[in-house]
Amino acid sequence: MKKALIILAIVVAILALYAWGIYNKMIVANEGVDNMWAQVETQYQRRFDLIPNLVNSVKGAMAQEQKVFGDLADARTRYSGAATVNEKVDAATQIEGALGRLLVIMENYPQLKSVETVQTLMVQLEGTENRISVERKRFNDVARDFNVMVKRIPAKLFARMFGFSEKTYFDAATGAENAPAVKF
Amino acid sequence: MKKIIIILLLFFACPALAYYNLGQPSGFVNDYTNTFTPEQKSALENKISQFNQETSNEIAVVLIASLQEDTIENFAVKLFEDWQIGKKGKDNGVLVLVAKEDRKMRIEVGYGLEGALTDAQSNWIINQVMQPAFRANDFYHGLDKAVDQIMAATKGEYVPSDSQAASQGSGNKKSSFNWEFIFYMVIFGFIWLSSVLGRSKSWWAGGIIGAVVGVALIFIFSWIVGLIATLILTSVGLLFDYVVSKKYQAGKAAGHIPWWIGGGRGGRGGFGGGFGGFGGGSSGGGGSSGSW
Repeated sequence: MKKALIILAIVVAILALYAWGIYNKMIVANEGVDNMWAQVETQYQRRFDLIPNLVNSVKGAMAQEQKVFGDLADARTRYSGAATVNEKVDAATQIEGALGRLLVIMENYPQLKSVETVQTLMVQLEGTENRISVERKRFNDVARDFNVMVKRIPAKLFARMFGFSEKTYFDAATGAENAPAVKF
Repeated sequence: MKKIIIILLLFFACPALAYYNLGQPSGFVNDYTNTFTPEQKSALENKISQFNQETSNEIAVVLIASLQEDTIENFAVKLFEDWQIGKKGKDNGVLVLVAKEDRKMRIEVGYGLEGALTDAQSNWIINQVMQPAFRANDFYHGLDKAVDQIMAATKGEYVPSDSQAASQGSGNKKSSFNWEFIFYMVIFGFIWLSSVLGRSKSWWAGGIIGAVVGVALIFIFSWIVGLIATLILTSVGLLFDYVVSKKYQAGKAAGHIPWWIGGGRGGRGGFGGGFGGFGGGSSGGGGSSGSW
């Protein structure tokens, strides 16, 4: 009887130690993912801030293309109003789509290419798109590590207990499809 | 068995289909295409090395033959990750990557220099400096001038933080520097001691050294600490000298002395020579790309 109690106590102690370790590990990993997401968001913000400048400098020459400017403005409003991560991702995808269309339409206005401000903005935009894709890829990498961690047994049992759930990845498709290819 | 190994190797090779590892950098200038003459290479290397000492910024110039189907943006980011150009914590590195067969170039800017060397500036350097020279097949002058421009843009951004100036860097960096220093001192001291004690005829001198250090500790600390230290150090010293002397004799008989008794096989002096690798910086896709 006494022996059984001692064994039980040891088992409980080991389990508690394990849970302690795994909890701390998950906290660190979770922070890593959040930090990476913040990086992605920083780059989204950068793109977001570039858009009005770009719109202003091309609007004059593209007076008859009001629809795409309207779409962009809508998407931006949605992004500013987004509260949750998922809403933000959706709005960012929408911005991406509208921006892609604008860039395609801009190809029809070759005179814009020689305007220096437009050129500079395009370079900045290009750099931002590249940064976004880099940070997204890194986000996916840390999110994958995190997911592997919380999905493995026995950590899986504890993850649910501590309230950690799987992270969603950025779909490769949304990034690759809509990322505006800037060719000047 | 062989088949299994080959299959395994194929699996490992798969993720690296596009980007391929270039190995360790040999300096700030890495020319895998033999475009530069040795004089040109060392001139550029010296210039960048000098700049690195003045500002701590790290500029890497890399010429490769082919991207092997990868995009230059992806290749540059991966290479930057592998080499970690720039100082840790400052991320003040710049990578100038040229892929000759693909006729593409990119300036990849570390996080810490994104403000000083903007995308627009990088693009200007690519289009106004590198592109015309590359079209004229003059890679050296194109890159030389590009490096000048990059230096001009990033000059005031950081100052070198050697031991005196380290206080302005982050505390983290400072302590890691100290630990590294202590680590090397310990290793060095260990090798030095073992080479001296091993070569000496005696097998007991180590014990005396231990005793002396222990007695010195009595004066520095207290009787009790010093006495215990004396006992421990004397016996450890004796044992150490005994082992080292034995090993040295055995090694001498075998014709090759273990490295940790200061043997070495003429392979020493590998470090030094100016370039000690890049400092652990990172980039996030900033910069600009172009083609010619």
